[in-house]
This record gives sequence, C-alpha cells and structure tokens, in this order.
Amino acid sequence: MGDNEALYRHWHVDRDRDDILWLHLDRAGENVNSLSSEVLEEFEQLINHAETSKPRGVAILSSKPTGFVFGADVREFDSFSTTETVIAAIQRVHGMFNRLERLPCTTVVAVEGYCLGGGLELALACNYRIAKDVPATKFGFPEVQLGIFPGFGGSARSVATIGGMKAMELMLSARQVGARAAKALGLIDEVIGRHEELYWAARRAILSRKRSRSPSISARLSNTAPARKILADQMRKKTAARVRKEHYPAPYRLIALWEQYGNKPQKMMQEEAKAVGELMLSPAAVGLRRVFSLMERLKAEGKQSAFKARRVHVIGAGVMGGDIAAWCVLRGLEVSLQDRELKYIEPALQRAAKLFKKKLRDPVKVKAALNRLRPDVSGERVAQADVVIEAIFENLEAKQALFRDLEPRLKAGAVLASNTSAIPLEQLASVLQAPERLIGLHFFNPVASMPLVEIIRSDQTDTEQVKKAAAFCGQINRFPLVVKSSPGFLVNRVLGPYMMTALSIHLEGIPAEAIDAAAEAFGMPMGPLELADTVGLDVCLMVTDVLGKDQGEAERQFIKRYVDTGKLGKKSGEGIYRWKDDKAQKNPDKITGHDLTVISNRLVNVYINECEAALNDGIVTDADLLDAGMIFGTGFAPFRGGPLYYREHQQHEQQSNAAQLTDDSATVNPGEQK
Amino acid sequence: MSNQQLRRVAIVGGVRIPFCRSNTAYAELTNLDMLADTLQMLVDKFGLAGRKIDEVVAGAVTTHAKDWNLAREALLSTTLSPATPGITLQIACGTSLEAALMSAAKIASGQIDCAIAAGSDTTSDAPVVFQRKFARRLIRQGQARSLYSRLAHFKGFSLSELTPQVPAAGEPRTRLSMGQHCELMARDWGISREAQDHLAMASHMNAVAAFDSGFFDDLVLPYHGVVRDNNLRADSSLEKLASLKPAFGSGAAGASAAATLTAGNSTPLTDGASAVLLVSEEYAHAHQLPVQAFLTQGRTAAVDFVQGEGLLMAPAIAVAEMLQRAGLALQDFDFYELHEAFAAQILCTLKAWEDEDYCRNRLDLPNALGSIDRSKLNVHGSSLAFGHPFAATGTRILGSLAKMLEQKGSGRGLISVCTAGGMGVTAILER
Repeated sequence: MGDNEALYRHWHVDRDRDDILWLHLDRAGENVNSLSSEVLEEFEQLINHAETSKPRGVAILSSKPTGFVFGADVREFDSFSTTETVIAAIQRVHGMFNRLERLPCTTVVAVEGYCLGGGLELALACNYRIAKDVPATKFGFPEVQLGIFPGFGGSARSVATIGGMKAMELMLSARQVGARAAKALGLIDEVIGRHEELYWAARRAILSRKRSRSPSISARLSNTAPARKILADQMRKKTAARVRKEHYPAPYRLIALWEQYGNKPQKMMQEEAKAVGELMLSPAAVGLRRVFSLMERLKAEGKQSAFKARRVHVIGAGVMGGDIAAWCVLRGLEVSLQDRELKYIEPALQRAAKLFKKKLRDPVKVKAALNRLRPDVSGERVAQADVVIEAIFENLEAKQALFRDLEPRLKAGAVLASNTSAIPLEQLASVLQAPERLIGLHFFNPVASMPLVEIIRSDQTDTEQVKKAAAFCGQINRFPLVVKSSPGFLVNRVLGPYMMTALSIHLEGIPAEAIDAAAEAFGMPMGPLELADTVGLDVCLMVTDVLGKDQGEAERQFIKRYVDTGKLGKKSGEGIYRWKDDKAQKNPDKITGHDLTVISNRLVNVYINECEAALNDGIVTDADLLDAGMIFGTGFAPFRGGPLYYREHQQHEQQSNAAQLTDDSATVNPGEQK
Repeated sequence: MSNQQLRRVAIVGGVRIPFCRSNTAYAELTNLDMLADTLQMLVDKFGLAGRKIDEVVAGAVTTHAKDWNLAREALLSTTLSPATPGITLQIACGTSLEAALMSAAKIASGQIDCAIAAGSDTTSDAPVVFQRKFARRLIRQGQARSLYSRLAHFKGFSLSELTPQVPAAGEPRTRLSMGQHCELMARDWGISREAQDHLAMASHMNAVAAFDSGFFDDLVLPYHGVVRDNNLRADSSLEKLASLKPAFGSGAAGASAAATLTAGNSTPLTDGASAVLLVSEEYAHAHQLPVQAFLTQGRTAAVDFVQGEGLLMAPAIAVAEMLQRAGLALQDFDFYELHEAFAAQILCTLKAWEDEDYCRNRLDLPNALGSIDRSKLNVHGSSLAFGHPFAATGTRILGSLAKMLEQKGSGRGLISVCTAGGMGVTAILER
C-alpha cells in the first residue's frame, strides 16, 4: 500500500490494513541476518519513512529461518582505519536508533532464534519485545569477545532497561540467555510458546499499544551512584580474575564508563561511542577479530560433508578414550565404550557421570545421557557405529592387530580413526585392506575443555574421510584442523621445544614460578612448566621421545628423574610443583628479581620458530590455519592474533618504529590520547 | 464418488520417538509438542516438507480440553503445507490404529490419496481440573451481575471442593482400573503368574535384540537425548520378574484368589508419539515413495463388560469377525502383533481362540480358531517392553509390522489392540 518494496534490498516492507508498518529483515546474499552498513542505511530510510508516514505501529521481524540478527557485521570492522571514522559510524547508528525510540507509534520487535549484539541493541530501542520460547532463541552481548563492548547504544540502553547489575553481568560475561531467562531479566516483555505465532503476537501488541514496563526498583537502585561504586569494584575484581587489563582493556573500559555515567543514559551513550571507537582499533580488538575469523574458518571445514554420526564406538577406556566417549555422549550421540574387562571401563563411566552432572545438571537429562553410554566389552557395537575411534595404549603391534580385526566388521561408510599421538598413521594403515580409510583424530586433554581436534592425514588418506571426520568434529562442537602425519603433528611439535626451553631456563636456575609468570604475562593461559605438570610429565617424556629431536638430553634426564620416582605432576600430586586441590602451589616471592620480558622473549621465540618450521614442512596448508591451531590447541594469547601473525606484526612495528625515529616527526598515537 | 474398484492402501513407513516412562525424560513436554515433533520426523523422513497431505488424523487419550484441535495444531507446527487438514480422533488405546483404518478406507474408496495417522500420549501433562461442583460455582459466578449474587454462588462452599480431580486410567462404570479388570480375566481363564512373566520376559528380550540389530534405526529416532525406550530392560530375568509384588491388589480380583499382575507383566504409564504415512498405490508411484506393505483389513468390536464379559476381550471378537470377512484362518499369518496391555490380556485372548466353547458360543464359529505359532508373536517386542503411550501404540505397531513385512519380502501380519470401554481394534497388513 504505497510502500515500494523494490526500494529495499534487505528489508521486506509492508503496510497492512491495520496501518501497521511491517519490517522483515532478510539480508540479501547471506544465510543469516547481520547489521551491515547497507542494512543499517536502509533502516535509516525506513525510519524516515515511519516518521513521515505515521503508521499505527512498527513491527520488526526476521524473514530468515536461521534467526533474528546475529549482530553487527564483524567483517566490516576491519575496514575502519581511524578512530574518528568508527565514532562517526557509531554515532550515525545512535542517531537512527534514537529516532526509532522516539517514534510516536508503538514499536515492537518479535524474535525467534539468535538475537545477539547489534540485534539486541536494535531490540532495546523498541517499545515492546516479544520472543518465541524455542531452544534456538538466544539473547546476549558477545562484544567483549571481540575486544569491544556494545556500541549501538546497547551499553546505555541495557543498563537503563534492566539495571546495571544485570546488564553489566550480561555484557561482561558475554553469556547467552534463552527466552524465558531473558524475560526474567527484563530484557524482553513477552514470551510466546513454540506453537504460537510472532506475527500475531506483534499485531496484538501494537493494537493494544503495549509498552515495555519501566525498570524495577532494584534495577534503578543498582544505577545509583553509591551502588555503582560498590558494584564496579566487584566487577573489576571478578574481571581481573579472568583477564588482564593490559591484554583485554574492553571490559575494564566498560566498567569505568558505567561507574561514571550509569545514571545518565544519554551521556553514557555519547561516551560509549568514543570508547568503542577507540577500542575498535586497539591491537586486542584486531587480534580477537582475527581469532573470530579463524574460528569461522575452522568451523567451515566441518561443513564440507553432510556426514552425520549417530553412534560412536570407542576402543580403550583410558583417560583419552573414556573422555572422548563421554564428550560425544554429552553432545547427544550414542556411544559404546570397549575395553578388555568391565573393570577397566568403570572408572571412565564414573568420570562421565561426573561430567554429565556438571554440564547438564537436570537429573533427567543426566539419566538420558548415561543411557546413551554403553560399556561394550565384546565390541559387538562396532558394526552399528558411524565413527570408530581407537584409543588404546601406544603400541604398534597391538594397534595393528586391533585394526585388522576391526576392518571387516565396520559398517559401510563408517569413519575409522586412531587417537594416537605417537605412531605414524601410515604404519597403522598398512595392515588395512583399504589403508586410505584410516585417519587420525587427535583430541587434547582434557577433552571437555580443549576446543581443537587435529585430523591427521597421510599422502594416501582419502579426502572424503577427512571431510567426514571434520563434519564429525563439527557435530561434537570441536574445531577440526587438518594436519599432515608427522611426529607430534602440529600442536605437540610446537609445545615440545617450548617446554624443553622452559626446562633449560629452569635448569639454569630460574624458578618455575618466574618462568610461568613470564609466559602468563605474555598472554598464555598457563605457563609451560605448570602445563607440563598438568599434561603429566610421563606424557611429556613420551612426546619428547616421539619428536626425537637430538636437543635437550639434560632436560630429558630431568623429567625422567621425576617420572622414575612417580612424580608425574598434577595427577600424582607432585611434579615440578606440589599440587593441592588441583592447584599448583606457587611461591609468588620467587618471581621477584627476574626479568620476565627476557624470559618470555626466549620462550616465545622458540615457540614461533617451531611454528615457522612446521609451516615450512607443510604440516598445515597455510599460516592462518597454523595460527588457528595454536590458538585453539594451546591457548596462545588470543588477543595477539596467533603466533605467526604476532611475529609478522612485531617485525612490521619494529620497521615502522625505526622509520619513525629517523623521520623525527613522531606524532601522538590517536589511540593514546585520553 | 464413482463406483470404481477399491484401491490398494500402501503403508509407506512409520516413525516414532523413543517411549519414556511417565514423568521421566518427557515430563516437560505436552502432547502437542510430541505430536508436532513426531509428524516433523515423518515429514523429514519422506521429504514431505511443503506438501499438502489430504488429511492428518491423530489423537491423544489423556488430553487437555485446550487441545480440542490437536491434530491440526500439531501439523501447523511442522513444515507440512498449512493447507493440510487435521482431524482429531479418539478411541482410547486404539486411537491411532483406528485413525489409520479410517484414512485407509478413504484412500481405498478414492476419496483421498494420502494421509498421516498418528497418536501421542503423555500422563506427565495430565489435565488436573476442579471438581464439577466447584467448577459450576466459578462459571455461575462469572455470569452473575451483582456482587451479592456473585458471593451467593459460594454459599455452602467447603474446602474439600478444591481437591483437584486427576484423570484416572480406570473404567467409569465399574470403578475398577484396567489392571483390576485384567486380573479378573486372568482368573476366568486361569492364566498363571509364570506364563505372564514368561511373556513379559520374551517381550523385553525380543525388543532388546531388535534394537541391537538395528531394526529400529529408522523407526525410532533420538529425541530429547533419549535414543531408545527407557522402559526397556536388557538385564531382565525371570527371577527378577518373579520377585515383584502384585500391582493391583487381590481385593478387586476377589479375596480368595492370588493376584498375578505385577509391574513387570503390565505396561507402565508411558509418554510418547508415533506416526505412519498411508497412500494409494498410484500416489506412491507418482511421488517415488516406497511401499512397505498394504493395509488390507480392519475391524473394531466391543464386549458387554458391564454385564461381566472380560473388559479386554474385544480383540478376540474383532479378529474373529475380521478373519471371516477376509476368508482367512488364524494360522494364515507370518507375524502376530498383539498389543501387550498386560501379559494376561494376550494370554486370555490366545486361550479364548483355542477354546471350542468360547468360539462356538461367543464368536458364533463352528470350531475353535485354534492356536498360533508362538514364535511368530511380537517377534521384535511389544508394549510390555516399549511401554504404552495409549494413542501412540497403534501407529507404533503399524510402522514396525510394515517394516517386518518389507524385510521378509512377502507375507501377512495381524494386529490387535485392546482399548478401554471394552473395545478392540484390529487390522491386517500384507505384502
């Protein structure tokens, strides 16, 4: 009725008989909706249109089956070159969302599926928010994971809508909440059931002029000056326990912003634009955006095959086998776990029960999960399995005998994998009728918290099997990294010399505490010696032997002495550190007097040198994949964007610093003015 | 309608969610949820998204008044074309089998080309309502105009009226539970505890073997983390079954008799849903759908249980009547899918068919129907193992039997389901 739909590429626009203006977002050329600059430009025109044509109400929905809005378009962030342009872009969005908020008619947003970041910020600028109660519906602010915080007015609006205590927690944790939890928080106003319709709920809301309820008393109280002071201190403490300010400035900046302007939404929004503008170009944000795109790349690897597993059979109920089985069960699969006798399977079942209780909580779901995990001493479930994973002790003959026995019993099309980290894939595959079938699936310990799985292939491996294995990783929520079969694959190959270097430094007389503190100051999640204890010194020794480098006999002997006396690290209660309640007992005094930068430079150098060597050996196909592997496999300081990226960046910086010094016209870096 | 010849009715296939004991894994779900999700599984299995099906006929036994349009509401929550009509139907435990028979008749006569029969039941979401006396007060109060007359409707109110009414799985006319009725039948026909336990044991063993062999892989799909029926016991044993106490007391069965029905040889209250796709042969060819079997006969019968007939004996009669019409003998089958409401129900039915007197006097037959080859009975398990979500059992059996006939290549299978109110629904599948 007068609205020319053809004007808009990304929005379906309709004015109905009740004089309601319907805006259905359907971003052209994309599977999912995100707020790209084009989408926002069109939205600005739609606001103009609503201002002049004065409809009875405006309803915003998504036409995509994949959800409402995933956020701003992160890919566009890298196109900004100066803080000023970021701020200007943000202010433009502030302008249109403010005008949306000020429209005299009822504005309703109706959400099914993801409503994250910019999508939630858009929703918060509407009068009334409706969500469909299905598992896919999720609300949240993921921005801090990208080194920024909500910048489309979301920090100010969420604080004003649900109070600083709840809003700040959401933004700082980046956690996602479902429809009912969002209603309880006050983020949304109405939840409809899965058999109801968003369209009709939105129409109902507009015809009865619904408005979001004003914030609760406790929400308003949490924004008062004294409350902000107390809460901000608590938030800083909580944040400090997780990330360092020098590495991740965004959460600290957000806390300071709220502490200062939490009761003045307009002012907070203005300052939000400045803060986010500056954070957007900070090295941490650049690095984290890179991590995000690397993650997307790894995830995409898992989407090249339609393979979907229903049943998994794991042979070997040790730590790795048992935990792989438990993780697959947790992800909804049916798993049979085989070992020589039931008594070897029972400890794995107990660990699994503990994991299910921790992750699922609901006893009914725990029971269902336990029913999906079956001990299978005779291995009769092999024939039903879509994925068979061998995780027995590292012995070539035993593994070969097992594969010989397994091959004829496999279901057609089933993936056959080994979790070995020591034996070359080719040697295992040699006993098979179809050696091209075997792949390696190298999980990391602890399986439940390590997001990476190395998929090992040799020259003869069938590419289709690799794709299926990657799809399987995607199914169990793990990032697949395809690596060439070679000693240590990628992650252990790099970690080996890195830990050996840490040991050499230690043998030179530097305390373990100082070495680990140096690595952590660089941004590693855990220092190399604590890591050695956590992995187990026996495992370290085995990896060292696999890598077979001629270097470091003294270091090898050093670990061997520990292993020989039963000091294996965390699992035995003592290794390089003493362990109590699963925590390494460190003496902080031992750090003083040591130059941590010198230590970390040495460690990081060895680490990155080995990365370069691995890349040269073609272990992975390109530098981005290598960086991705090291970030998700070892937790290499994510804000630094990956080891190779970091080195390149450093060299680049050194060159430009040198150029600047000779140029002698150094100006103030815009990022530093305050 | 033209006076064309009757058309063959093809069963394309069925699907169901794993059945779960009441108040376990599906406690948070409603009939509408389970039915919609099961229909969606069937849609996905046979690529029916966006397709208009001529009718979806489905029902639930334990149901809320608000679910008066259950079948239609459920299909609107799937990717089926919204132009698909939904018919909500109910005949107790025979619901989804009856739904299939009614649609099959329409397909055979050429009224429609395709239909989905389905059923769902949950006793975890049972409708709890006020007693009628209190409900009447509320209604009259709502109609009243003055404050005085509003209050007047609460005159004589007693707190006991607030006691909610929970639907009972019992017979309204006799005030006996199903189990108590079946206990009476067991006594009439002299069915021993051991025989019942043996049947229960066989049901579990057959069902476990069928699951382990992969028979149910495309029939029972994972749902809410559950991969197989949670009533199933792989570790069942006759000793364990023998150790169970009678579940329905000896009082109802008469003081002198020892009760024989236990939780082990009776079906538990169960949540679940199932669905089957039925089409004309022409439709199957036109849409490249597989034909697992043909639904060739159906019959529904009832007994006068108020005057003392066994409440769950109606399948014995329905089968006899159906066989006569089909010109078949009881022994002309490769599979017998007799729903095990209680082990005793099956054993009474089998015994009745073997009984000259019963067959002559009650079934009007010249001779006894005879006995069946027990190795052909419920070969992949039945309700004692899977559980029995009332309305879902009929299409559960249809889906399984159709697949069994497809695997066998050719043959004939008999289905019977007993229901509350002294009724029975039966059918024949052939291939």
